[in-house]
Order: sequence, then C-alpha cells, then structure tokens
Amino acid sequence: MSAIPQEAALPRTFTLPAGVQRAAMRVATGVALLVLWEVLVRWLAPAFVARPTTVARAIPDVLAQRNVPPGTPTFWGSAEETVLAALEGMVIGVAAGVLVGLTMGRLRTADRLLRFYVSAFFAMPIIAMVPVMELWFGYDWRVRLTIVSLGAFLPVCLNVYDGTRKLPAHYVEVAESYHARWWNVWFGIALPASLPYLLAGFRLAVGRVLVGAVIAEYIANLKGLGSFILFDARTFHQPEMMVAVLFLALLGVAVNAAADLATRRLLPWYRRAE
Amino acid sequence: MSTVQVAEPKPRLIVPQSVRGAGVSLLGLAVGAGIWELIGRRTQASSFAPFSKTMAALWGMTTSGELPHALESSLQLFGAGLGFAILVGFFLGLLLARIRVLRTGLEPYIAMLYATPMVALIPFILSLFGFEFRAKVIVVTLFGLWPILINTLEGARSVNAELLEVARSYRSSEPKLWWHVIIPYTLPYTMTGVRQGIARSLVGMLASEFLLAASGLGNLILTYTQRFDTAHVLAAVLTITLLATALMAVGRAIENYFARWKAGV
Repeated sequence: MSAIPQEAALPRTFTLPAGVQRAAMRVATGVALLVLWEVLVRWLAPAFVARPTTVARAIPDVLAQRNVPPGTPTFWGSAEETVLAALEGMVIGVAAGVLVGLTMGRLRTADRLLRFYVSAFFAMPIIAMVPVMELWFGYDWRVRLTIVSLGAFLPVCLNVYDGTRKLPAHYVEVAESYHARWWNVWFGIALPASLPYLLAGFRLAVGRVLVGAVIAEYIANLKGLGSFILFDARTFHQPEMMVAVLFLALLGVAVNAAADLATRRLLPWYRRAE
Repeated sequence: MSTVQVAEPKPRLIVPQSVRGAGVSLLGLAVGAGIWELIGRRTQASSFAPFSKTMAALWGMTTSGELPHALESSLQLFGAGLGFAILVGFFLGLLLARIRVLRTGLEPYIAMLYATPMVALIPFILSLFGFEFRAKVIVVTLFGLWPILINTLEGARSVNAELLEVARSYRSSEPKLWWHVIIPYTLPYTMTGVRQGIARSLVGMLASEFLLAASGLGNLILTYTQRFDTAHVLAAVLTITLLATALMAVGRAIENYFARWKAGV
C-alpha cells in the first residue's frame, strides 16, 4: 500500500519492470552493506574479526566439516541438536499452550487462578531461570528443553487465551442451543476462531525458542549451535562462528516465512488489520 | 462469560464480581506460595528454597543494599539500551518510510535481523566492543531495536494520503509535515513497538549480564548459583519477574495512552 504520493514521474524513455527494479535495489543495498562491513572491520578491528570475505571462504569448509580438529564441535551435529531441541520445545509448548490458553479463556476460575502466573512468566526473561535449572537438572539437555518449552508455551498460551476471550458470544449461544457439548465449543469453535491469535503466538514462540536454546547452550555448555558459536569465538575462528549465526538467522527467516504462507493458505479469511 | 443469565432464584450473599475475582486471584497466589513452600521444604536446600527462606533472602538483600545496587546497575543498562533503541528505531523508521529507495533496499535485511536470535551475535559484539558497559548497551539495543523500527515504519507508511495532500495543499514544508502529521500519526505504532521492545531488551539485559562482564541482577543470579544458595537466587529471579511485570505494565499504559488518537480504532 504505497499511499504516499510520489513526485510526478519524469518522462522516461526506458523503464525496467517494477519487480526487477526492486530486486536490483535490494541486491545493491546488500552489496553495499557487505562492502561497508568489510571496509569497517578491515580498517578498525583486529584481523581475526569476521569479514564478509572470510565468512564466504569459511562457508564450504564448515558445511562440509573439513579441517575440523579433534575435540571441536561439528557444524551439522550441533545444528541437529539445536534444531531438534527447538522442535521438541515447540511441540510441547504449543500443545500445552493451546490447552491452557483454551482453559483460561473458557473457565473464569482457571483464568483468575492462572492469569497472574502466566502473564508474569511471559513478561520475565525466562533465561533468568537457566542458572537455577542447572542446579535442578545439572548441565543437561533438560535445562534447554525446559527453557525452550516455556519459551514456546507462554506466548501461545496468552495468545490463545486472548483469542478465546474475544470469541463472539453469539457463536457459543448458537452452539449451545444446538446442544453442543463443552468439547465441541472448545475445540470446534473457540480453537478455530482463535487460530489467527495462535499463529501470532507461534511466531513469537519461534523467536523465543531460538534465543532460549542458544542461551541455554551458552550457559549450560550443551552441545549445539550455541556452544559451536562460543567455541569458535573463543578459539578465534570468527568466520566459522558467523556461518552458524547466519544459519540461525536463515532458520528464523524460513520459519517466519512458513508461518506467513500458512496464514495465507489456511486462513484466507483472515487479514491483518492494516 | 455467559452474558445471558436469567433471574437467579434467591440471592443470598451478594459478593460483587470484582471482589470475588480478586479473591480467587489472591487464592491462586496463596496456593502458589504454599506449593512453593512445601516443595522447598521437601527438597535439598542446594536445589530449591522454600518461599519463606526466599522472602527472608529478599529482605536481607534489600536491607544490605545489595539488591538495590544490582537493580540500579541493571536498570541503567536497560534504560540506556532501550533509549538508544527507541531513538534509532523511531528516526530510522521515519526516514525509511519517507525515502522509498532506502526502504526497498533495506527492508529484507531488517526483516532478517528481526528474525535473527541476537544472542548468537554476542560473541561477535564481545570481540568488537569488549565486555564493558558499552558492549552491553549495544546488546540491549540490538535486542530491542527491531520491533520499534518495524512498527514505526509500518505506522509512518500508513499515514492517510488525504492528510498529506491537505497539508501539502496548504504549502506545509517537509519539516512541518513531519511535525504536525507524520510523527503524531506514527507515535501510537511506535509505542506498540516499544512495548515489544521492552520485553526483548530485558532478555538482552540479562543475556549481556550473564555473558559479558557480569553485573547487576544477572551477576546476583550467577554468584549465588555458584554458592548453591538457592534462596538468594530465587529472590533475584523473583525481583526480575516483578521488574518485568512492572515494566510491561508501564509499556502497556504508554501504548494505551498513545492509542487514544490512533486513527481508525
């Protein structure tokens, strides 16, 4: 929606299609940013700091896991650990979040009992719990799983709760006049009606899950991309480290794009209020 | 929930809904504290402390000045980082909205940075800026910046064309156009971003306190964990929870205040 009137177009003899123009602009900006990074780091920072050229050179080696000294975490092994943990956390967190969110949205007592806890845990940075969890579970995968599941649970739960609360009352009245049972109302009406909220919560959850997984790996020193990054940073292998950072960034982008696509495909009736 | 409630037979003791609601909420808190106390008494002191001991630790740290000191240090970091995030996010967002070339060029990269887990960049920031206050502020800013920037951009782009046309037809100059039309129109959007940025900046604050030079509340948690003193750790975590809840409430209040003149709502 480009509603801002642009200055009257000058008469042109030749114009590229708008899409090509935009793509060209984006590529040009990207190149400019990379050049800026390269120049600034060369000029101001020590030699070991990652630059686009060194990162590009490191990509094939890291992905093929060549020249990995013994005792060093491997890239794909670490990525697998982190991605699997994130997936497990998403499954647990989203399932629990939907259930608790629906319960809080439909039962007022549950709402009053739990609202305070859910919103307080949602507001607080869950990573504050990582050190305590080390005391509970040891330096163990359970720390990461708990952090990641909580990170997914809280935004999903709050969003489903919001969506269920905003369910138009007459939906429920109609259903009840047809003798719908409570589970029909919960899962047949309230849940589909709050799907857009669920998806919004899902997107928040993805961000929190990735951040939580990496921080848990940093602090609890678990195998995964977090410790891969930390190890490479400490051994002055910054270009290799940046490959892992890029991988995480692309993972975030890909999941968000998938969520967008799912919104458009599955919920064509839902438009973001823009 | 159900709004259609037909005449109740005989109202005995009428307790207003709000009072009952508050009562149930308080009961929830009391039950939570009770469970906490019970679990704490049945586990080793090195893994979980009961509610009463945590409260005692909280009181002890408050009176000794340890907690206020840590809180102050953390809030300084948080405030500086979020402040920069708001400044940069707001002005960059406005600029991008007004300058089409910049916007089209940078949009995909901003979206990518928004989706990047910023914690992954902390070691990189460490190597560039060290681990002192400056580096930590940068981390907090990088956490909080993106929602503010993106919301501002979205808001400034959705300014009504008619508003701009009217302003233009009265020969409003570009600075006046910004000051009287675009900025007031955009502020509510920015504040939505600020609310999201507050939550993210808090994560950034703790992450930088854990991973860069330990300070503030993060340092409290780390040192007491090393001493297996769970009562003090839980007291610090509780403080962070209360702080986060308060900051979120402030964020929501600011957002609602600005939403009063949000168009079309």
